[in-house]
Amino acid sequence: MFKMFKNLVGSKTLTAEDLEPVLEKMKDHLIAKNVATDISGKLCESVAAKLEGKVLGTFGSISTTVKNALQEACIQILSPRRRVDILRDAMECKQQKRPYIVTFCGVNGVGKSTNLAKVCFWLVENGFRVLIAACDTFRAGAVEQLRTHVRKLNALHPPERHGGQEAVQLYEKGYGKDAAGIAMEAINYARDCRFDVCLVDTAGRMQDNEPLMRALSKLIKVNQPDLVLFVGEALVGNEAVDQLTKFNQALADHSNMTNPRLIDGIILTKFDTIDDKVGAAISMTYTTGQPIVFVGTGQTYTDIRNLNARAVVNALLK
Amino acid sequence: MVLADLGRKITSALKSLSNATIINEEVLNGMLKEICAALLEADVNIRLVKQLRENVRSVIDFDEMAGGLNKRRMIQSAVFKELVKLIDPGVKAWQPTKGRNNIIMFVGLQGSGKTTTCTKLAYYYQRKGWKTCLICADTFRAGAFDQLKQNATKARIPFYGSYVEADPAVIAQEGVEKFKKEGFEIIIVDTSGRHKQEDSLFEEMLQVEQSISPDNVIFVMDATIGQACESQARAFKEKVDVASVIITKLDGHAKGGGALSAVAATKSPVTFIGTGEHIDDMEPFKVQPFVSKLLGMGDIEGLIDK
Ligand SMILES: Nc1nc2c(ncn2[C@@H]2O[C@H](COP(=O)(O)OP(=O)(O)OP(=O)(O)O)[C@@H](O)[C@H]2O)c(=O)[nH]1
Ligand SMILES: Nc1nc2c(ncn2[C@@H]2O[C@H](COP(=O)(O)OP(=O)(O)OP(=O)(O)O)[C@@H](O)[C@H]2O)c(=O)[nH]1
Ligand SMILES: [Mg+2]
Ligand SMILES: [Mg+2]
Repeated sequence: MFKMFKNLVGSKTLTAEDLEPVLEKMKDHLIAKNVATDISGKLCESVAAKLEGKVLGTFGSISTTVKNALQEACIQILSPRRRVDILRDAMECKQQKRPYIVTFCGVNGVGKSTNLAKVCFWLVENGFRVLIAACDTFRAGAVEQLRTHVRKLNALHPPERHGGQEAVQLYEKGYGKDAAGIAMEAINYARDCRFDVCLVDTAGRMQDNEPLMRALSKLIKVNQPDLVLFVGEALVGNEAVDQLTKFNQALADHSNMTNPRLIDGIILTKFDTIDDKVGAAISMTYTTGQPIVFVGTGQTYTDIRNLNARAVVNALLK
Repeated sequence: MVLADLGRKITSALKSLSNATIINEEVLNGMLKEICAALLEADVNIRLVKQLRENVRSVIDFDEMAGGLNKRRMIQSAVFKELVKLIDPGVKAWQPTKGRNNIIMFVGLQGSGKTTTCTKLAYYYQRKGWKTCLICADTFRAGAFDQLKQNATKARIPFYGSYVEADPAVIAQEGVEKFKKEGFEIIIVDTSGRHKQEDSLFEEMLQVEQSISPDNVIFVMDATIGQACESQARAFKEKVDVASVIITKLDGHAKGGGALSAVAATKSPVTFIGTGEHIDDMEPFKVQPFVSKLLGMGDIEGLIDK
């Protein structure tokens, strides 16, 4: 799209009128790349505010100037102000002889359980013993899904390689029970049995479903996990904003605490299904300011990556 | 109702026409801008939105048009037609036939709601008195067979699947053979989630299709999907003979516009919508009444024929 604006303008001061048509196209470009519409708008406004009144260099075109400014803005959005270092924090907990607790939450079908299993694999590879807490007590097959993962993970990491102990175990109490209670039992069990990490799987829920959101807040409030990860799929469109806002809001509202536990980080899944429509990464980080801790790039245990902000921005502006 | 928010915005945009004293290019552009913004916010594919804008614009030539013509009506009718086009592919939805076996295959992206919707559909037909069953041809996803088994057992629907056979085409074929012999009328086959970027998964889908020759292939789409929907939907259609679309998770906040672009891409109608996780959270979907209701315009039917 930027090809259309290669005309050289010479040395001049950029006005709102100069910028308007370029930014209009740019907004459409961002929307086509699956950035939420209002965030596309806000991004363009911020670029306009930054460039208006600036003198354009002799060899610069408006389009490259705008593109550079946008690129900078996007990289900044994707660069976390705070780093989540799970290995370091888990190690610290281990020294304190308590399990490091991570909760996975998000809407239905985004990949919470699968990516929990991937994170588990990564932790096991790094020498940690992990307990998985099956706190999705609602969806059919949710427990068996995790049991299958535990079996496969232990086959990949047999006890012989872990001092005769199983590297991964499942804590489950079947279906229909209170998730917060099971999480608590699991965490106690993890502490008693010297697990290094406890990964808590939760049921998918719609951000508007009040009773379910309340239940999630309760689970987080009573168990105070070390890390709350929001799992969102890269396929999601404008809903990305609403999901994150309302999950955070629910955690704050229902906690009755002055310093409630909110979302600490994001797992962006199904990144392998979107080609270059990478906009959800921008929508999600723009909305929360929280970092994308992992990117899910497939359905096997090794399909998990760190976010490469530069590569994402390149795909976004291509 | 679903998409109601979008409907309100479009209606209010159309009203701006009625409020304007003269209809000129400026008024038209203003209205189109509003409508397009509403569609984009609902995740409708941006190319479809641009097309809609061009098509409505091309109906009216302000320079050449005589003053007497009713521009207002022409514009409203053009907008309505374009919106219908977005939701209505113009083909009749497939219907099962009583007294014989009807094989229905579910396909779609990972986590879109196939397995859940399979049981909902089986339950829907069972309650209407059809002899209905389910087959799990997902050998990939952990716990997939348990999921279908638990759902089917709860709804007392006969099911078929395997913990050991790795080839979904084999399971699908065996299951269909068995249930055909037993005289089942609605045979629903669940498959793994997949995406166009992985050839082997698409190849597998084709093999399952060929092993059972389904009467209806249903593409299941999640209402929260954004701009990536169209190319995925198109790829599914190119590989297998998709004939219907089901949009799930419309009980949430999502407006479902992204999923609607699956209609254009597959040229297949939306037949049901999913409105929750429970087995009866599903509604049949009919295009025309939906659009009329959406736009809240009583006399809209009259407009399309003009
Ligand atoms: N292509 C791709 N598929 C993924 C990825 N992550 C998860 N999936 C698939 O998405 C589907 C849903 O994954 P789950 O882990 O069951 O999702 P969930 O969020 O736990 O679902 P619920 O518990 O039902 O809400 C499965 O088919 C996974 O294999 C990914 O990064 N890429
Ligand atoms: N709220 C809501 N949730 C739904 C709806 N349909 C399905 N779900 C949920 O979405 C999640 C994924 O559904 P599945 O049926 O497992 O999806 P799938 O397409 O079979 O997933 P894979 O087999 O992994 O590709 C589950 O948590 C379902 O309960 C719906 O209409 N509304
Ligand atoms: Mg799950
Ligand atoms: Mg399934």
